[in-house]
Amino acid sequence: MTATATAPVDLPRVAEPRPGKSRGDRGKPNWIATVILLLGALYCLLPVFWVLTASTKDGSELFSTFTFAPSSHLWDNIVELTAYRDGVFWRWMLNTALYAGVGALLSTYVSALSGYVLAKFTFPGKSTVFSVLLMGVLVPGVILAIPQYFLFAQFGLTNTYWSVLLPQIISPYGIYLARIYAAASVPTDVIEAARTEGAGEMRIFSTIATSMMLPGLVTIFLFQFVAIWNNFLLPYIMLGDDGLFPITVGLNGLLNQGATVPALYTLVITGALLSVLPLIAMFLLLQRFWRVDLAAGAVKA
Amino acid sequence: MTIPRSRTAAATPVPARRRSGGGASSFRSRVLTPYAMLAPGIVLFLAFMAAPIVYAVYLSFQKTQVTGLGLGSGARKQVFVGFENYVAALADPEFAASIGRVLLYGLVLVPAMLGLALLFALLLDARGTRAAGFSRVAIFLPYAVPAVISSLLWGFLYLPGVSPFYFVFDALGWDAPEILSSDLVLFGIANIALWGGVGFNMIVMYTSLKAVPTEIYEAAKLDGASEVDIALRIKVPIIAPSIVMTSLFSLIATLQVFAEPTTLRPLSNSLSTSWTPLMKVYRDAFTRDDIYSAAATSVVIALATLLLSFLFLRIVQKRAFGQED
Amino acid sequence: MRKLLRAGTVAVLATTALITSGCSTDAGSGGGSGPVELTYWAWAPNLEKVVDIWNEKNPDIQVTVNKQDGGDPAVTKLLTAIKAGSGAPDLMQAEYQKIPTLVSADALADISDGAADLENHFAEGVWSSVTLGGDALYAVPQDTGPMMFYYREDILNQFGLSVPTTWEEYADVARKLHAADPTKYLGTFSANDAGWFTGLAQQAGASWWSIDGDAWGVEIEGDATTTVADYWGGLVEEGVIDNKPMYTPEWNSALNDGGQVGWLSAVWAPGVLAGNAADTAGLWKAAPMPQWGSEQATGNWGGSSTGVTTQSEHKEEATEFATWLNTDPEAIEALVKTANIYPADQAGADEALTEPPAFFSNQPDFYEVAAGVADTVSPFTYGPNVNVAFSAYNDEFAKAAEARTRTAFTDAVAAMQDITVADLKKSGFTVK
Repeated sequence: MTATATAPVDLPRVAEPRPGKSRGDRGKPNWIATVILLLGALYCLLPVFWVLTASTKDGSELFSTFTFAPSSHLWDNIVELTAYRDGVFWRWMLNTALYAGVGALLSTYVSALSGYVLAKFTFPGKSTVFSVLLMGVLVPGVILAIPQYFLFAQFGLTNTYWSVLLPQIISPYGIYLARIYAAASVPTDVIEAARTEGAGEMRIFSTIATSMMLPGLVTIFLFQFVAIWNNFLLPYIMLGDDGLFPITVGLNGLLNQGATVPALYTLVITGALLSVLPLIAMFLLLQRFWRVDLAAGAVKA
Repeated sequence: MTIPRSRTAAATPVPARRRSGGGASSFRSRVLTPYAMLAPGIVLFLAFMAAPIVYAVYLSFQKTQVTGLGLGSGARKQVFVGFENYVAALADPEFAASIGRVLLYGLVLVPAMLGLALLFALLLDARGTRAAGFSRVAIFLPYAVPAVISSLLWGFLYLPGVSPFYFVFDALGWDAPEILSSDLVLFGIANIALWGGVGFNMIVMYTSLKAVPTEIYEAAKLDGASEVDIALRIKVPIIAPSIVMTSLFSLIATLQVFAEPTTLRPLSNSLSTSWTPLMKVYRDAFTRDDIYSAAATSVVIALATLLLSFLFLRIVQKRAFGQED
Repeated sequence: MRKLLRAGTVAVLATTALITSGCSTDAGSGGGSGPVELTYWAWAPNLEKVVDIWNEKNPDIQVTVNKQDGGDPAVTKLLTAIKAGSGAPDLMQAEYQKIPTLVSADALADISDGAADLENHFAEGVWSSVTLGGDALYAVPQDTGPMMFYYREDILNQFGLSVPTTWEEYADVARKLHAADPTKYLGTFSANDAGWFTGLAQQAGASWWSIDGDAWGVEIEGDATTTVADYWGGLVEEGVIDNKPMYTPEWNSALNDGGQVGWLSAVWAPGVLAGNAADTAGLWKAAPMPQWGSEQATGNWGGSSTGVTTQSEHKEEATEFATWLNTDPEAIEALVKTANIYPADQAGADEALTEPPAFFSNQPDFYEVAAGVADTVSPFTYGPNVNVAFSAYNDEFAKAAEARTRTAFTDAVAAMQDITVADLKKSGFTVK
């Protein structure tokens, strides 16, 4: 939770393709650099590899064979996990996709709109609005969760999808990023030209500005997705019905069932593996899109 | 934050559209239009951030007052106590200790994480690095793992009884250090955060590096500078702004460390329920059912972070948005 | 401009729409027609299967189980919902030590009208913990956890050690075992399980809270608890007992490989052992706890009851369900078979518990031993801030276990006393 929330400060900058450093011309192999990077990669992959092997072990093997040697129970574990409370695990996966996916989409839209206005309009109170919004970055979720609960309770909305979805749409951090992106990628003369042609402000934003900001918006979406996916406490407090849980809260419940019930470590590890896979896939996919598009934008200009 | 180089980014502010110039219409387009477009953000901010914060401040001046045995309905009521909760929070030695721990933790984590991130970014950008694509993705991958899950994972790897590493150490007859002992647990937690965050910061720096035109390096190369010279003398200063920003964000994030120690706590005797300031808030609010003390402690933490944020805002606004106003 | 405003107020409209469309999944509002719907927060495994039996028989009162994280988090959530004025379920699985806290927060309704004639179903000590010694009834007892001593018969035999019946013998066996094989321990002192230590203190005769007129008494730092802490501190200092917490992956592994030869646990232990160390089935045996004096005594660890919350709009129906769940023979049999609990209903327990748990097939008299032990549970009173005392236990005994000195253990008891009393005073309780 800590270090992952740092700033991609320079991401918005439009990267120009560097002449003379295409894939074909990489100079002679730099083995020191390659080896150090591979060591770094090994450090990052080892725990992932451990989850892979651990999820193939049954309960007793998990606590009796400590090597990276895989066993053959992955499928059994998946079947058992699926059978747990009539497949509630898959419901958690869907819920997570809903909270993080829809939440991040809405959040990206609101951030883009606010960031665009803050970057491209001059109006009284602008810097105050921005400063106040930005201070939100510094208030940790633990502090907000309880008052948010009381707030939702006033409307009888605790223990609903909305109670987890709504508070996470506002992202001071996303607005901050969107402001940088808008300033960097939406040329003022394009906006002016659209205005002279009589286009409304919302139309300019939704047809012209968003497409120019798109690579940046993908990044905001990604960050917000991870932030919601990482936010354990809010759903933990808001939700009582385990049919509404996101995956993190659900898996945590399998570990903390009280002293009289064994912790379901094998299910949790298998669940952790299954739940991280789609996220990794999305990362790889979006990462490529994001890089390519940044370059494309630069070429067009 | 450096000013974007691209011509598309010429960023003079747009005086909002002026129509036929009537006073009312000008006010509308100058003030109402931007505020109307900002409304969703502002409304959501007020509802889900400002209101809860105000409510927390209100709670911090209250406490529960019990009459008699406190059993049955109506035996408990909420009363105003002024600054009592604040005095208690500030006088609590555990709270001071937790702040000390978090500062030490930040001192360990931030330089290590950013140092490694910078090293990796420079190596990715260096000439002749092979398998760079693979390494970049692999190092970035842990960012996708939620802190609760990564802590559980590393917890397994730290426990001598179940860790494959200790298994290997044992087989070799070496004595392995016990990471979850009270002397080392801080480093163990820092390692989890480092694992999750190094790739992200690396990507941030690498993106800045890629935007630097190579002509700059070519010139240096002609002057006989080595690859290392170029990295240290040219590349690092150029991306210095982004290093400063990532440092600031990382520092603020370390003050909020919570998920990792909370997940690891049941595995050892080394982590108390108030090991970090936010863990204390959590314990007071959720275990001890004293939301009033928790609110007061929260406000103290928020004010401390606000001080940092002030610094942060000044730097950010000067660097990032100088081109707009 | 209208367009702009419309777009600008998207969030507001959306929010209002959500509120008015009433997508709340809050149950408890049966409405005029249709069955009464009750929600039930619980964490006992497979409880929903027992509830299904009820639902089939009672089409007018449908109960939905909402699975919770065990113990503390569910209570926290309930207390928050009570403070907020909405969001609480109709029924709640409540551990005995949480009942005073819940009653004090006005979370549990008095259900003595609907369920008063239940007293003869339960042991006296259990009944007093759901009535708090008064005329009100705050929950129907579900299961209990009389403590027993579990040991690996094969390993004790291997080293020629006998089963300890007194704490002195326990210390002796612990020493001999660890001397014979330094990788093995007879047990561990877990700073993470306050309920476990409370049970040990209870066995020694402690009762941490007491009611004296309008005042609460706190006696954590009394002779009984100090004796227990001193005893364990001594064993940990000697190094013949492990000092790592229970319920960690490492502890699981030690149960599997024989690193932990004994476990001071409760009657529900077979389920945990079967889940964590399935391969050791048939190797364990259960015995009464080692004793301090000549009179047999034990403590209680775990166990819970079913309460009806003050926010429930259908208290009568909820009480009816809670009574059925915990006293009806069919329900008790289902609880035993599918949820693996040791029922609090004494007659029901005798009837349902005829065969030993599968994990203890080597010990046909398992439940006879358990029934004998269950009769010897010492009385114990819980207070309104058990949560504070328990979190103080976690912190103070973690330090002590890490320090590995005898004095650190007794100091930890003193610290628990101070923290607990200070908290009561701060909330305005009169403390004797």
